[in-house]
Amino acid sequence: MTAIRPEATFDEAVRTAKGAPTRRKVSRKSWQTVIWFVALGALTVLVLYPLVWLVFSTFKPNAEFGQNPGLIPESPTIDNYLRVFEGIAGVPLWRFFANSLFIASMAVIGTVLSSALAAYGFARIKFKGVGVLFAAMIGTLLLPFHVVIIPQYVLFNRLDLIDTYIPLILPKFLATEAFFVFLIVQFIRSIPRDMDEAARIDGAGHFRIFWSIIVPLIKPALITCSIFAFIWAWNDFLGPLLYVTSPEQYPLPIALRLYNDQTSASDYGASVTASLLALVPIMAFFAVFQRFLIGGVATQGLKG
Amino acid sequence: MFNTKRTAALIAAATGTALVLAGCSGGSSGGGGEFDPDEETTLNFAFWGNDVRAGLYDQAIDLFNEEYPNVSVQTSFLPYPDYWERRQTEAAGGGLPDVLATDISYLRQYSENGLLLDLEPYLGEQIDTGPFDEAVLGSGEVADITAGIPISTNAWGLFTNPTLLAEIGVEDFAGGDWDDYTAWIEDTTAAAEAAGVEAWGAGDWTGRIQVFELQQRAQGEELFTEDGEPNFDEDDLRDFWNQTTEQREAGAFIPQQRVEEQLPLGAFDTALTASEMTWDNFGAGYLANLGEGYPELNLIEPPVTEEGAKDLYQKAGMLLSASAGTDHGEAAAIFIDFMVNDPEVGAIFGTNRGLPASETARSSSDLSGLDAQIEEYEASIADRLGDAPPVPIVGFGNIEEEFRVLGTELMFGTVTVDEAVDRFFTEMDVALNS
Repeated sequence: MTAIRPEATFDEAVRTAKGAPTRRKVSRKSWQTVIWFVALGALTVLVLYPLVWLVFSTFKPNAEFGQNPGLIPESPTIDNYLRVFEGIAGVPLWRFFANSLFIASMAVIGTVLSSALAAYGFARIKFKGVGVLFAAMIGTLLLPFHVVIIPQYVLFNRLDLIDTYIPLILPKFLATEAFFVFLIVQFIRSIPRDMDEAARIDGAGHFRIFWSIIVPLIKPALITCSIFAFIWAWNDFLGPLLYVTSPEQYPLPIALRLYNDQTSASDYGASVTASLLALVPIMAFFAVFQRFLIGGVATQGLKG
Repeated sequence: MFNTKRTAALIAAATGTALVLAGCSGGSSGGGGEFDPDEETTLNFAFWGNDVRAGLYDQAIDLFNEEYPNVSVQTSFLPYPDYWERRQTEAAGGGLPDVLATDISYLRQYSENGLLLDLEPYLGEQIDTGPFDEAVLGSGEVADITAGIPISTNAWGLFTNPTLLAEIGVEDFAGGDWDDYTAWIEDTTAAAEAAGVEAWGAGDWTGRIQVFELQQRAQGEELFTEDGEPNFDEDDLRDFWNQTTEQREAGAFIPQQRVEEQLPLGAFDTALTASEMTWDNFGAGYLANLGEGYPELNLIEPPVTEEGAKDLYQKAGMLLSASAGTDHGEAAAIFIDFMVNDPEVGAIFGTNRGLPASETARSSSDLSGLDAQIEEYEASIADRLGDAPPVPIVGFGNIEEEFRVLGTELMFGTVTVDEAVDRFFTEMDVALNS
């Protein structure tokens, strides 16, 4: 929005200054705009077709799946939505949303808090073995998750934490996602130390410096982390599959799969409808935080 | 959105090794524990299925609790592939549920690794074996223990779609040998083309390992010996695949490309083929996917290889097992007996879990429509039913899948029969020796 406005006022200024001839210029410009919009629009449709198909498919009755691969349902119905809202096996749909939302929110809080603290330590504090520890942390990035599945399961099983959300949430509070720590470390390193030093001279300790100086400056990085942490946790399938046992504790990705059973009938209508509904919160989350992300990048830097 | 396929493959690879390790240290299946009806007991119970089956289990467990109020049953359910992913991790990490639904293709692996409780001591005591057919009950015995009690039986059958056949204007397959069936497929495909219906008689029936098994059994040979060695050679397989080479090339079967376009549904599900051979419990899924336009299916005997041969068999479709690590062995046995034998539980499920293996459960289920057809079918093939083959070897799933893939490649024309035979034996070697 703000990007277009100066241009508009510039155009207006040109128009008032030069009079008639500029009209042609303006119209040529708007022609270009139209072409751009059409081309970009067509490309978007192409890229988003699967999503559009998903939206339309939610109105297809079950029997049409497999028979009618096209976009438009032959006999549209809202039955899929009614069935999905009823829930699965006596568990209402909102419950799965609430479970997912809880896990994802805790993941965001845990990841941001712990990763930022860990990153501050790596970036600003000189302690023995910082290099080795940093390398070890980066090393965990190279370790596929599947290698640690069994030991992790054994650990949580011995602690009797199966069928709770703790195995899903606790690691997030312990800065186990090296990707985020690394991201924030790099961000902090780009901030001049002058401000830390100024604060130290004023008598601030590490926590004070972290909280009052670093955190406000690394907001864009924190927001990036939040977005990723939320999306990853929201979409996580394997974690809940291994650690959550009771159906009423299932998050959405698992609940979605319960509509399909190859040994009896599969409810494809309900399956696509629930998938679409599962996309909504994640899109909303992105829509809200994306503004902060861009805003954060724009205002970044040192002031006076 | 959820990338589960890749993770499934990886976790399978990771757990495969770990499972073996766990088996080594897991000790013998000496678990158990006495049952005291006055003591509060909690049984964890896991099964695969969708929400419909979960609802039925809830009803069945309510009944169970009327009789055993102090046993609380915690259920957990997942779709089939995810169910096994979770179980594989538990098997490796400790913590299998007390009672779990098992499948004949996993039974050997779990049993040989000492993960399942031997139910032998409970047979005839807590678990009533009277209502079971000896051969069917025997399908739960593996590695010298009774590892599972069958819930249901399946048999191999030939489904045809009478509504589609009427559209095409062809009579249903009247029975006969494999040549008769192939000729009928050719006729149906030709008639469909003439009638302007986009349909084919069938897919290539040599694409399934079960059909190969059927023909081998007709000659008195099992696919694998008791020791898990292959019991057929390259020539057998080459002859098998060559039975339809001419028809594959002439286009009598549905083109593979058309099949792939329908995924995840099959060609028979979408009324593109008029017949398909598979396990008889697939009927309900077919009917649901076919929709209202095709309200009925016929279920008939597969073609005959050798008159009077005992080539068909009933296999346990789903079994209930208890984990070796359970502290409530006796309670688990009582629960298994109730879920398998109780007439009221049988009435609740009908054929949701397959045709009940237990006579008491079967006679009380009110079977109608396709369910009644399946019961009738399994009774009608009685004189072709032989002993079930030994419990599948570890790795049979991979071998079965490789066979199916080669079948599709033969249809695509990307391999010749000779190449396919070579590849199959190489892959089988890998699967058996890993």
